[in-house]
Amino acid sequence: MTSVVAIGLLLLISLVIGIYGVRAARSASDFLVASRRVSPNWNALAIAGEYLSAASVLGLAGLLLKNGLGTIWYAVGFTAGYVAVVALVAGPMRRSGAYTVPDFAEYRLGAPRLRKLCGCVVLVIMLLYLVPQFKGAGVVLSLVSGTPYWVGVVLAGLVVSGSIAAGGMRSATYVQAFHYVVKLLFIAVPAVYLIAHAGADTRAEVLHPEWGTHFPDTIPVEFAVDTRFTLDEPVTVTDTSGEEVVLGEGSHTVSEGTEYVFPEGAQVPRPEGLPELGGERWSAPLLSQGGYPLFETWSTLLAITFGCMGLPHVIMRFHTSPTARVARRVAVGVIALLGLFYLFPTVYGLLGRVLTPELVLLQGTDTVAVVLPDHTVSGSLGTFLTALVAAGAFGAFLSTSSGLLLALAGGLSHDLFRSSVPRLRLGVAVGACVAVLLALPAQMTDINVLVVWAFTVAASTFCPLLVLGIWWRRLTLPGAATGLIVGAVTATGAVGWSVLLPTPGGWFDVLLAQPAAWTIPLAFATMIAVSRLASPPEWAEHAVLRLHAP
Amino acid sequence: MSNRWLSRILPARRPASSDLRASAELMRQVHALGLDLRDGLHGRGVGTAAKRLRRMLGVDGIVLADLDGSVSSHGRKLSADEVQAVLSQVFEYGGCARTRLSDGAELYACPLTVADELSGALLATGDPAEADVEAAASLVSDCLDHAALRRARARIASANLRTLRAQISPHFVHNALAVISALVRTDPDRARHLLSDFADYLRYGFSEKGDYATVADELEAVQTYLELQRARFHDRLDITVRMAPEVLPVAIPFLVVQPIVENAVRHGLERKEGRGHIGVSGFGEGPLCVIEIEDDGVGMHPDLARSLLAGTGPEAQGVGLANVDQRLRAVYGPEYGLVIETGLGEGTKVTVRIPRFMRGVVAQ
Repeated sequence: MTSVVAIGLLLLISLVIGIYGVRAARSASDFLVASRRVSPNWNALAIAGEYLSAASVLGLAGLLLKNGLGTIWYAVGFTAGYVAVVALVAGPMRRSGAYTVPDFAEYRLGAPRLRKLCGCVVLVIMLLYLVPQFKGAGVVLSLVSGTPYWVGVVLAGLVVSGSIAAGGMRSATYVQAFHYVVKLLFIAVPAVYLIAHAGADTRAEVLHPEWGTHFPDTIPVEFAVDTRFTLDEPVTVTDTSGEEVVLGEGSHTVSEGTEYVFPEGAQVPRPEGLPELGGERWSAPLLSQGGYPLFETWSTLLAITFGCMGLPHVIMRFHTSPTARVARRVAVGVIALLGLFYLFPTVYGLLGRVLTPELVLLQGTDTVAVVLPDHTVSGSLGTFLTALVAAGAFGAFLSTSSGLLLALAGGLSHDLFRSSVPRLRLGVAVGACVAVLLALPAQMTDINVLVVWAFTVAASTFCPLLVLGIWWRRLTLPGAATGLIVGAVTATGAVGWSVLLPTPGGWFDVLLAQPAAWTIPLAFATMIAVSRLASPPEWAEHAVLRLHAP
Repeated sequence: MSNRWLSRILPARRPASSDLRASAELMRQVHALGLDLRDGLHGRGVGTAAKRLRRMLGVDGIVLADLDGSVSSHGRKLSADEVQAVLSQVFEYGGCARTRLSDGAELYACPLTVADELSGALLATGDPAEADVEAAASLVSDCLDHAALRRARARIASANLRTLRAQISPHFVHNALAVISALVRTDPDRARHLLSDFADYLRYGFSEKGDYATVADELEAVQTYLELQRARFHDRLDITVRMAPEVLPVAIPFLVVQPIVENAVRHGLERKEGRGHIGVSGFGEGPLCVIEIEDDGVGMHPDLARSLLAGTGPEAQGVGLANVDQRLRAVYGPEYGLVIETGLGEGTKVTVRIPRFMRGVVAQ
């Protein structure tokens, strides 16, 4: 209940800042202050606030608990993306005057049809990115209020579209900056407390994982879905009727709804396909789900780093900077702020392995950050810490999904169907509805799998478009269009296949699950090859020159 | 949009004869040619236009030339000398000319005239029917004529802007200077500030920099204007400004906010007894930038507001508003005009709603 109150309070404050938190000047002498541009620091805070999504707050800790230390590469990628943005696109994008990627496409290649194509790609990326946000919000809301998952998702959809409709994003910069601070404090304070509270033994175990992980306590586990897991030694568990069941060594299948109580000290069973908690694969510093860790790690890193550049809501934020130099300073600030933040999800993931290993069995690792304080700290302090984390996670959801929904609605109303404001509201409503509907069946999919999907599509479409558009004057309209289509189809299709359909196995699996390493070069190559067939129009030279001339 | 889709999906109610279809296709082609040539012979679409003409006429090659020589060609290539030879023939007699090329192919050239002035030629190689090429040449001439008219329209719009700049009213200059001179003795510091504000205001109003400024620049001009007006109103004017920082760098047409504020002061607040309040607020709305100018002055009848925007209102009032409205529509399209909400005695609220990005709109 405390958590619900905390979330409500956060929502209220965000709304107030969003509607009234615009710099107000009451006398004419304050006028100049109001018309002065926002400082790079505020801007960096706002960008970091918008960027840190549920994937960062919840997903990263959950994936670390489930898949092992290699997950930290995600954090590296999320942060390094800004290096790519600064080095390649931030300054020129600002000079072009383009506000979104479709704007840039129209500026650089001068074709309204390409704008529509870009609008479609924006829709795909935004939806893929919105679904995990809604999933995260649904999980948090259902966890803290005890309602079913779908109620949480629907509620989250209502809350975010309602807050946009009420004008909660009018002063986006201040809302987002506020959300960064909320996220950092609400995640960092409980994390630091948990580290102190955990005691020397737990800390030692966190840092030196032994082979396999054992339950720290007598833990009841209710399986929400059919689960297959393996045991290395026999374990005696108690089922709901109080009878003892001996689970022998080897593989077991447990059907949905079964509840077992595992005794203290028993080894945590290993669900099929996952690395053993604390085992060698878990501790290896690479992402290793498919057996080709080096390729997987590189591919994910490429997807995230270059995908950041193509995320429509990231790029438009650099427009607030008055000069390209300030835009770069802002990006450096963002890198520092993100680096600081990403220390904490790691803490939750590492502590979670020792203190709440049963989440892996429940396939609910995305909730580890919210569950952990409640499990380890008893009494009202635990409730309070849980409320903090829940509010922080909800803030992450709110800021990112408001930005995404606005970008999506803008794409719908502005790029696909040229029209004015009433449609923008309609766009927000439609976008929220679709995202909620898609999030309902996604309960068991990891947040970060979906987020990396969005990043992969962005990296395979907008990254080549922006990089070639800015740095290669021979890019032509047919080249850009074919490259976009090829990139979008291959990236969306490959990950979609691996998430939704059975896969053939082996190398093919890895190529489908982490396609960035081949889809990005493929999109680049297509754009270059098709562009070479024709010569660019004369004015292209001028358009490129203006991107680089100070 | 939906009709076109429907007609593609559903079977046509009445089977169109092939003639009908052919003439519809022809109309589409003619329309597309007009779009290709919308920027004239030196615009972007001239290459596509040459290609389209070649297909429409069914000839081997098309060359579009201006008075200096070929600007675009499609299909069979001609040497510069061959083009020059036939061009000089056409330009000398002002009529169509037929020659035979070295390899025996026929070349037929017709002059393009825009507003009764010779401005180029259309060359067709292969075996062109003379009447067809002449018809095509007159069609291209019409398109070029439209392009010239379009340029003229743009020139008128920028002349309008110049008029607006020149409209910085003599009254205002007089009042400002009078106020400043009255303050020189009693409050020399403020007088000095006001004088420098006035100088800034004039510089902005008279600047020749370009057609677009940032919202921040425009706000500064508003500030200096309001500062001067406040001195004249003996501080019975309250001002509130709320600006979301995201919209400050957005490019907007020069002198859009300032005339609206001026209108609010002159027609809303000057006639009001007691204190007046004027509020300017700006915020982002997805891809749009919204600026609202609100005053609690005497307001006006909605019909009057409507006629002001239509440009049929009384001369003295709201010339500025109609001008701003026209320019916004000209730059951003008909859906982005001014919105005025007002009633007698209820103040006035004017809303400017523009896209944050528009091709070609860049602040200088």
